Order: sequence, then structure tokens, then C-alpha cells
Amino acid sequence: MKYDAIVIGGGHNGLVNAAYLARAGKKVLVLERRERVGGAAVTEEVFPGFKFSVFSYVVSLLRPEIIRDLDLPGHGLHILPLESTITPLPNGDYLGQWGDHDQNRRELYRHSPRDAEAYDDYGREMHFMAKAVQPILGMVPPDPTSLAPSDLLGLLRLSRHFRNLGREQFHALYKLMTMSSADFLDEWFENDALKATKSASGIIGTFLGPRSPGTAYVLLHHYMGEIDGVFRAWGFAKGGTGAVSEAIAAAARRFGAQIRTGASVASVSVKGNRATGVVLEHGEEIEAGVVVSGIDPRQTFINLVGEKHLPDDFTAAIKRYKFRGSSGKVNLALSELPDFTCLPGVGPHLRGAISISPSLDYVERAYDDAKYGAFSRRPYMDVVIPSMIDPGMAPPGKHVMSCFVQYAPFDVQGGWDDRKREAFGDAVVDTLAEFAPNLKRAILHRQVLTPADIERVTGLSEGNIFQGELALHQLFFLRPAASFAKYRTPLRGLYQCGAGTHPGGGIMGASGRLAAVEILKDGA
Amino acid sequence: MLKETPFHPRTAPLCVSHAWRRWAGYVVASSYELSHEREYHAIRSSAALLDVTPLYKYLISGPDAARLLDRVVTRDVMKTRVGQVLYTTWCDAHGKVVDDGTVSRLDERLFRMTAADPNLRWLHENAVGLDVKIEDVSARTAALALQGPSSRAILERATGADLSGLKYFRVTRANLGGIPVTISRTGYTGDLGYEVWLDAGQALPVWDALIEAGTPYGITPTGILALDVARIEAGLMLLEVDYFSAHHALIERQKSSPFELNLGWTVNLEKGPYVGKRALAEEAARGPAWRFVGLEVEWESLAGLYAEVGLAPRLPAVAWRASVPVYSGSAQVGYATSGCWSPLLKKYLALAHLEGAHGAAGTSLEMEVTVEHHRKRARARVVKTPFFDPERKRA
Amino acid sequence: MTDAIVIGAGVNGLVTAAYLARAGRNVTVLEARTHQERASEIGWIPPRVIRDLDLVRHGLTVTPPDPWISAPLPAGGRLELWQDLSKSVESIRRVSPKDAERWPRFTERMAKLARLLETLYLAPPPDLHSTRVSELLRLAGFGWRARRAGKETIVDLLRILPMSVQELLDDWFEHDTLKAILGAGGVSHICEGPRSGGTAFVLLHHHVGSPRGVFRRAAWKGVGAFEEAARARGVTVKRGAEVRAIVVKDGRAAGVALASGETLPASVVASSADTARTLLGLVEASWLDPEFVRAVQHIKTRGVTARVKLTLAKAPDFERLLVAPTLEYLERAYDDAKYGRVSSRPCIEARAEGSTVHADVQYVPHTLREGAWDDPRRNALGDLVVKLLGDAVPGLAPRVTAREVLTPKDLDARFGFPGGHLYHGELTLDQILFMRPVPACANYVTPVEGLYLCGAATHPGGGILGASGFNAARAMLGGTR
Repeated sequence: MKYDAIVIGGGHNGLVNAAYLARAGKKVLVLERRERVGGAAVTEEVFPGFKFSVFSYVVSLLRPEIIRDLDLPGHGLHILPLESTITPLPNGDYLGQWGDHDQNRRELYRHSPRDAEAYDDYGREMHFMAKAVQPILGMVPPDPTSLAPSDLLGLLRLSRHFRNLGREQFHALYKLMTMSSADFLDEWFENDALKATKSASGIIGTFLGPRSPGTAYVLLHHYMGEIDGVFRAWGFAKGGTGAVSEAIAAAARRFGAQIRTGASVASVSVKGNRATGVVLEHGEEIEAGVVVSGIDPRQTFINLVGEKHLPDDFTAAIKRYKFRGSSGKVNLALSELPDFTCLPGVGPHLRGAISISPSLDYVERAYDDAKYGAFSRRPYMDVVIPSMIDPGMAPPGKHVMSCFVQYAPFDVQGGWDDRKREAFGDAVVDTLAEFAPNLKRAILHRQVLTPADIERVTGLSEGNIFQGELALHQLFFLRPAASFAKYRTPLRGLYQCGAGTHPGGGIMGASGRLAAVEILKDGA
Repeated sequence: MLKETPFHPRTAPLCVSHAWRRWAGYVVASSYELSHEREYHAIRSSAALLDVTPLYKYLISGPDAARLLDRVVTRDVMKTRVGQVLYTTWCDAHGKVVDDGTVSRLDERLFRMTAADPNLRWLHENAVGLDVKIEDVSARTAALALQGPSSRAILERATGADLSGLKYFRVTRANLGGIPVTISRTGYTGDLGYEVWLDAGQALPVWDALIEAGTPYGITPTGILALDVARIEAGLMLLEVDYFSAHHALIERQKSSPFELNLGWTVNLEKGPYVGKRALAEEAARGPAWRFVGLEVEWESLAGLYAEVGLAPRLPAVAWRASVPVYSGSAQVGYATSGCWSPLLKKYLALAHLEGAHGAAGTSLEMEVTVEHHRKRARARVVKTPFFDPERKRA
Repeated sequence: MTDAIVIGAGVNGLVTAAYLARAGRNVTVLEARTHQERASEIGWIPPRVIRDLDLVRHGLTVTPPDPWISAPLPAGGRLELWQDLSKSVESIRRVSPKDAERWPRFTERMAKLARLLETLYLAPPPDLHSTRVSELLRLAGFGWRARRAGKETIVDLLRILPMSVQELLDDWFEHDTLKAILGAGGVSHICEGPRSGGTAFVLLHHHVGSPRGVFRRAAWKGVGAFEEAARARGVTVKRGAEVRAIVVKDGRAAGVALASGETLPASVVASSADTARTLLGLVEASWLDPEFVRAVQHIKTRGVTARVKLTLAKAPDFERLLVAPTLEYLERAYDDAKYGRVSSRPCIEARAEGSTVHADVQYVPHTLREGAWDDPRRNALGDLVVKLLGDAVPGLAPRVTAREVLTPKDLDARFGFPGGHLYHGELTLDQILFMRPVPACANYVTPVEGLYLCGAATHPGGGILGASGFNAARAMLGGTR
């Protein structure tokens, strides 16, 4: 039986891609190695009664056109708001960032009257910047080395876009693209905890610290959702991030796509210069007009296709492409809510994020540990308690807590083993317990995931959650490699649709959609 | 949690309507009584007592205090005398209004600035190279506005001072119920009125002293709804309602210059360099693209529209804050941003932004009104503001 | 009547003055210091400037160091890299045949990129928002040149400029010493480590003007040549003339006021002092918009390089020597600076002139987070440098007869380098080209009409002698014509 398209990997980008192809009338098969779809966006009942968004845990930038085109709300997607962030401070106080403007201003004023004012100006600046970047997220990157009319036109369109921004905004955007988040925030704020907490969103998923140039532009992500036409685009999916994947999968099936789980692809079949299908682990061969890979560039090209079918310079570029997974995840099942010394008892702060980022130095030092091959002794953490927002995630009265932890380098010295994993988990719990002393007592179960575990379970190379670092030299027309950033590959009939392509990263779905658009353009 | 003003222990029990609203992070009464009507009439016929603590207040002191303010605002601060108050706008570098408020010269080297929006950061940014101290005293300074024809008598009784010498837009120190306060002859009603500035810790005794002195004169605690009508009658604009701060605008056309807000008189092009001067001088030469004017809706036209559907004219019960198109013939030539029925003048008034040519007094235009779910246009005439300008305001 | 006043008799100030005078302007240079302090200067002088100003005739000499660097090897001996490419390949082959094989390819690609940069350096920074036909043609010309250099070069340009020098070097080489030599060039005069993005650009910036395969600049002797050249063209150079303020009338520069109380009128003023000193220090702030002031205040000038001068009893056995064995060593040295400390093991690059050794020591913060610079701390730094150099060059330590330690703080105080930063602003990606020193001043102009900037604070910035001055003079002549 021959398919029009086979999509390797049932992560959210693969599913989005399959849905769009199926919507266009193609006969599509999605092959997922695991028993469930979602890739890194899965909800699992890790401990009886306790459900976790095991890896990816917030919905950030899910593209509104995907939500509309695939009618995801009609397939069960419900995003619940995540409004506040508190940062516990070593002196027993805290810094809160609240959804309500007056409340937020009042809280910031307590720490720095000037920052309370700068906050609004900063928000406005970021709004402008997000608006400037947004069209680029929805754009197929032109190839700057090509002389093809479409590429020249694309470059022209791109340069016109930047010129239309006007000088001031262009310069601001340029700064944002090149500076470190610490330097960028220094120009706005004086409060260290505020800078640290904001800078943290610039380092997520990178092997960089807040003082590393190139980390500033990720600060935009928090502001992108606001202009996307999806009010409260930043939040929790009811039922965990797995529910996002399920909704996309349901949409794909509705359009006629087939999804096979437990189907591990061993290789991509290549005849001459053309991909013709795939071979599964148990030997089954499936033919298809096109093969679309939703998995990362290294897995796709080095493992499934094989160097012998690819040009040397391309292989070299893919080998140079950096993953350097730097984050881990600790999932906790709790008998009671954490009681933070800075804000005792149960309160609205537990419905938002808790950021362990008391100062820029704190986060930078966490990075220093990782640079030299150790996990951070005192890591940066982004902690949320999904059961506070979606009580169905835990048995009544009990709670689940998700701790995103950085830095945990994939290449930890001596490699990851059980002992090191537990030591890492201990570092996380110990750090948190300094701010919420009842935590240790409240822990019923604990799941610790290192980058090595993330790689093992999800297949993401080196456990990089974005299928490759979001560094300037790995973005846009360089993602994953120059001349192959347009979802195409050196092989005819083989496409990429994962986060390893532009724009990549987060539960965005943009790569999956843009790849589908390009595949259909090629008349597949 | 919203902040409560230091008068809250007094205002809360009086607010029988339970109609509260937010103002700059504080909760204040919309109206104390079930209807704001009597509170409005107190402004025009006796005396209204308003809690205006939520205003932002800054103390600027030091050798370069005057220079800092002169660098920021559009009026000439260097020439003000101690005891003088300036109403002024201030602009960004492109000559677009950031905010408007008052600057009081309390002493040779001491000024108080009031503002609708936070301006601490802006003041600091303009203070580079100056020997000046900028304090945000918003929280520690309480403020009451006592407005209306009897306001002077009440204040004189409460302070034991003769206030006949305190001219319009002047400020003086006084003692109210044993508590030191400053009293400025300013307000937001376009009537005879004063504003009393005091240490927040002394708020309650001052309130009590004013109520005690004012009761024989019919002093009436008054909320924002009544104030809103009075300020429209006085032709006074409101930030975030009638115009947007250049610091908040998301696009260029949301910004306004002082000329476009009918505040060209606050722009001094003779004084030394200040923020936005270059752009303002250019605009002054060119003429503003927009004008901010008063509109009077013609009764016959309005009545006619309602008569068509068999209704008597419906008038807005409270002042509205919305954007309403204004037409000349078939073309939209502007928009009204505030409007109300003036219970005193018996007129339907609005404040509107009009493209330059249409702003001349006497121009006949049409304003959109919604009559029984249908959009209609009522005739309206451009008039000079203030709509209401009693002699006692300045006398 | 003076047409133009130039503030500062540094290389860029003098070059600006000389070009203005060459175009027939009556020019006065005002310099606060009474005499020339430095005997030599490291950097690239664009050949065009040397030619135009007859600098050689006025006494400028250069000897490119050969080897241009030597670095101790862990197993003993030194890795030496030469002006001659094949000689360098031979040196590298002894430590890593693989790297030796890659050296020619690497140096060719870097040289291509440096040549592209060079075309941008002797001209005002590109104005991407210009609607002027001439500027659009210039941009198109650059695009065309990049394209003609080949697809590989375009990809390199886009990919390498934002990269960290460590990533770049990891792509190419395996030997630690070789990587450290190039890595040290990538972090030179910048408060970043080799893992920081943008440091690959810094390596290239310092490569501009050097032959292929040479990543260190020559030292020029006879800096006095610039003053001679200026005087020869009729420029008046007044020393001991400290400018207190720039006089502004109706938004236009009208002259300068000296500390002596004297006021000198002029129709244009060019300042080779740094941006903040010029605009926030010498101009009445009311003439400047707050957004502009904020931008100037945020120029990063985090000086991290101390200068230690050692006098030896006998000339050492090296011309240029690097003490920084690995990229990790450099990164750890940077870590200290991040937290406001002197590197416990700093990167030292030493240059011998006879029996005098000039050592650039990095990272040494301008402002210490704990404590302040004083003699004991300065001495401790001197001891550390002597010890580390002594470890690398056996027998050196006992031969030190005198030493002088200048921290960035001292360099600030003595030479007026803002934040102790030699380049008047770090060469981070956000502070180069049309962003340098701030976008509003990118074309050497300022918000005050008739006031220009012509120092290292402007494009192309430090490490290149006279290019800023050359570009500024051209901008001024274009603007006053």
C-alpha cells in the first residue's frame, strides 16, 4: 500500500504537518515509535492518579492559524491561563509579577519605583519587537546564497520588512537579536531578581547563560502570544500538554490521516537521489511519495538516511549543528501544597509560575557549573503546579508539581547514571526546600529526567528540547543548515518538519505547518 | 488588592451606593449616594469634597529643581514665582504629549508636580547632569479637592485664614485643624475651588475638620461621576480618555501634540531648550493637523431622531467615555471622546478631535448617536470651551 | 577664524584634522595633555591614510612581528606562528598534523571575510534605512562583492559573525594551544569569554588589514608622525588646552570653552573623546533628548585589560608571547570578571621591545565588586603577571628591574579611556557598524548640529588607527560643503 506522505515522528509538529497534508487531500501515515503520540508534548500518569506533562509543560506560542485551521478547540484543546510569576528571594521576601496591571505595578514599586514604571515601557517595546518578528515566524526562510527568483524575492521582501520597521525599531530589534539578556535588561531595570527572572526566559533550552550574547531575543517569546490574536496564548493545556497533541492528532484523523503508534522507523529508503519510503524496525517496508521527518536533523540524516546518501558538505553542516541539551525535568507527586516561606499558605501565587532565579549571578553561576561539565548545584527552575489550575491532574487534595531545571548538561562529566540522576534530583529538591520547607515531607513520588533520559525516551538528540539550540547561527536560513532551511533536503521527496527547522522551539507547530505548505507547493 | 486612600475609613461608610471604581491603583467612590446628581449640583451650587489622593505627586528640590522642570515641561518654569502654580503639558522628543498636570513652586528650590500617570522615571531620565532630588510623594501625600461657590468660605472657616488674596493658580501654606497643609487654588471642575495637600498620616483629622466647617454650607462628599460632568463642562481633558500619552501609544496616530489638544497656549517657544521644543516649533510654524474642541449637539436634531421612532430624547445619564464619530457631510472628520448632558446648561456637550479645517468655532457638523439600536447622526456645532466658565473661578 | 576645532590629539583626532586641513579648512587641535605619552601603538593603519598623509615620510615605521605569536606548549617548547603561511603550517604540524592540514583552508576563509569587512571599514557604516541612491548602490555593491566571493563566504559571513570564537574553532581545530591563540584574539578588549556569541567577529575585526594567517597586529613606532603630518598641512596643535565645554548656540556648535576660561569660536567641532564624555560631559544636556541620553549612557565600555610594563635586565627571548594555554583557561579567566574580580589566572599577551615588555592582562575589571583599586591590589596584580610570565619564560622573573601596572581604572584616569576601555566602547555585535557608538551618531554626527565625533567610539572603532578619523573628516566635509 502506497501513501502520498509518511510523517516520521508523531510529535506535535509531525501531527500538524500530517493534518495539513491530509486536509489538502493527501493520503498520510504518521509513524510514532512510542505507544502514544505527542513526542515531548505528552501527558502520562507516571504515578497512579498523578498525571504529568512529562516534558514540555506550558503552551506558549501555538500558532493561532493552526488553532483555527485545525479547529483545535473543537478537538478538545482548552488553554487555561497562567498569569503570575513569583520569585522567592533569599531574604525571605519575594518578587511577584501579576496579571493585573495595578497589582503588578504596586508589587514592583515595592522593590523599585523606577522599575515599576520601566515595566510598562519595556512591555511596549517588546510589543513592538514581537510585532516586528511575528511575520518572520510565519515565513519560509529564503536562501541568501541562491539566485533563484523566489529566493531573491524572499530576500527583498525580508529587507523591505526590516526597512519598513523604521530606524528606531530596527535598531531596537538588532540589539535584541545580538545582546545578552542580562545586558539588554540592564538597560531597563535595576532590580536584580526582576532581571534574573526575565532573563531566564532567554536561556531556556540553550547552553548559554544570561550574560551570553544572543540570549536577549528569546525574551520576546513571552510577548508574542499577546499580539497573536489568541488571548492568553501563554498557559496550561487542560489535561496537560499531551492534550494538545491529542487534539492535533484528532484533527489529523478527522482529515483522514492514519496514525500508527509503536511503529519505529529504522531507515529511510533511498533510490538514487530520491526518498521512496521507510523501513520499520521489524523489517516492514512502506512506500510513499514523500517522506517527512518530524524528528531532529541528526536523527533524520545521520541515523535514518545515512551519510552515504548525502553530500559531504551537508553532512558536515548537520554534524556541526549543535544540540547540547542543557535542561532537565523533575516531576513531583505531592501530598500537600508547598508552603513558601515568602508567601505562606495557599494563595493565588500557587496558580502561577514559581521562578527560582533570585539574581542574575545566581543564574549565571548555575551556567558556570554546566560549562565545566557539572549539573548546577543550585539550578534555575521554573516551577508550576498544574493541579492548582487543572485539578484533574492529581487525586483530590493531592498535587503535581513540575520543575523545569537548568542546567543539566547532556555531556555531564563521567556521563549520566542512576546515582548522578538522583544527586541531580536531590539538588533540585534541596534548592526548592530552602524556599518551601515542607516540600520534602510532601513528596510522595519523584521522577527525575536528565537530558540523557529525555534523549532515551523522546529521541531528541542530546536531550535538546528544541531539536537544536536556538542560537543566532542556527536560526532562520541557517536552521538546520544553509540552503536546506526551506524544509527540503538534499534528497528529493524527503522533507523536514520538526523544530530543527525554522522557526523551531516550543509547542508552536509553525515548522510543521510551513513544511506542509512547501510540500504541497512542490506538488507532492 | 487595590490600595485604599488614607480617607477610606471616612469615605467607605459614606459610600452607600457601593459604587467604587479604580483610579491609579486605588479604589475611590464613583458616587456616594445612589445617584451622582446631587453631588454634581454641589460642585456648582455649594461645595463638593473630592478625594483626589490617587493623583501622582512628585517633590522636586535642589539647586537645579527649576531647571529640571523647565527642561521637561512646555511652559516657562524659570520665570515662575514662589506661590505660583502652572498648568502645563510635557512632551516627548517628538513634541507629543506625555502627560499634563500642575507644577507648584512651593519655594525657591522646591516644586510639587502632579500628574495623571507615573512620571518618576521620565523625570529621572531628564535629570542627567543636574543637581536635583526627585521624590515620589504620591503615597505619603493625601489630597482633597474642595470645589464650588462655597469652597472659600468653608476653607476660611476651617483654617481661620483669609483666602481672598489667594488668586487663581496660586498656592499657599495654611493650618487646617491644627495640621499644616498647602492649599492651591486649582481644581478639575472649572469652578471656584481649592485643592488641599497634606501628609497622609493626617488625612482623617483634616477630612473631619473640613466636614465640620462645611456642614453649614452643605459640603458634599463627591465621587468621580459628578466630577466627570463638571470637567467636561469646563472643557478639561482626561488622559487615557481624551488623549493617549506618547509613552503609551502603540502607533503614531494615537499621539497628540499640545496644539492638537487645544493647549498651544502652554507651549513656550521663547524659552531655552526643552524636550520636544524643536518639533513643537516646527509644528507651530506648520499649524496643527488636529484640533480639540467643544461640540454642542443641537436639541432639535436630536429630538427629531428620537421622534422618528416615537420616543422622547434619551440623554446620557452619566458622562460617557467612548469614541464617537463626527462627520462633515459624508466624510468622518473626527471623533468625540467624552460627552455628557449638562444639567446646568441644559445642553448635550461633547469634547472632540477634529481635523484642522473643521475645528473653527461655529462650524456645523454631525455626531453619531445610537437611537434604538440604529446609528444616526445628530447636528452639532463647534463651540469654544469651556462650555461653562463662571466669573467666580478667577475672582 | 578657525573653521574647525578638533578635541583630542590622538591618532583619530589628528587624522581628522589633517584631512580637514588638506581640504583647505583652518583647523585647531586642542589637547589637554602637554606631551605625547605613548611611543608606539598597536593596530592597523589603512594604507590609504598612510599614503594620503605621507606618514612614512613623517617618521612612521612598522615591523610586523615574526613570529606573530608564540605560546608555551604543555609538553615544553613553544608553538610559534609566522608571517609566512607555510612556516606556520610546519609549526602546527609538529603539534597536530590534522590542524596543520586545515590551517591553509581556515586562514583563506578568514582572510576572505576580513577583506569583506575591510571594505566596510574605510567608509561610513552602511545605512540600511537610507533612501539615497548612492547609499543603496553602496549596499548593493557590498552585496555583490559578498556574492562574488562565493556561496561559502556568504554562509560564513552569516554564520560566523554571531558565533562564539570557541564554536568556530571547535569546528576546525583540535589543538588547545592553537585554539587559545586564536581564542585570545576573539576576546581581546571585550568583556566576554570565548564561549560568548560575537567573539568570532572580534577575531575577524582584529584580522582586518593583516596578511592571511596572521591574527595579531603590528606595532607602529613614531606615533608623532601623525602630529607632524597634521602640522605639515597647516593644522595648529595646542597642547595643555583642556576643553571644559562645547558652546552650543541655537542647537548648533559654536566653539569650545577652555578650562583656562578662554572661548574659541569655530563653525564646526569634532571630538575624538568618547561619546559620553563629549555629549554628556561637554554639552549642556538640555540640547539632548532623553532617549538619546539613555542610549549614550548604555554604551558598554567595560574595560577589562590592564597594561603592565616590565623593564628587564636583558631582552627576553620572545617578540610576542601568549599565556593562555586553553580556551577553558580563557573562559575561567572571564568567569572572574563576570563577578567583578581580577582573573585569578589571567590571559597575558606580552610584547617585547628590546628589554621592555608590555603585557596586556585580561580580565582586570575597571571597578572591583569588592574593594577598590589601591597600591596593594595593583602590586598583587603585578606579582601575578610576573609569576605567570616567569612560569612561561624561565628566568624572566628575576630579571625584572622595574614595573608599572596600569589597571583599566588608571587608564581611564590617565588617558581618558571611558571605563578603562581602549576602544571607547566594546566591539560587541550590538555596538558595531550602524550601531556604533549609538545609532543617532552612526554617521559621525550628533544631535548638536556642527558637532561631530571622530574617535574610536565611532565606526569602525578601536584597533584600527585613523579609520574613524578618516571617515569622520569625510562626513564633515560632505556636511559642510
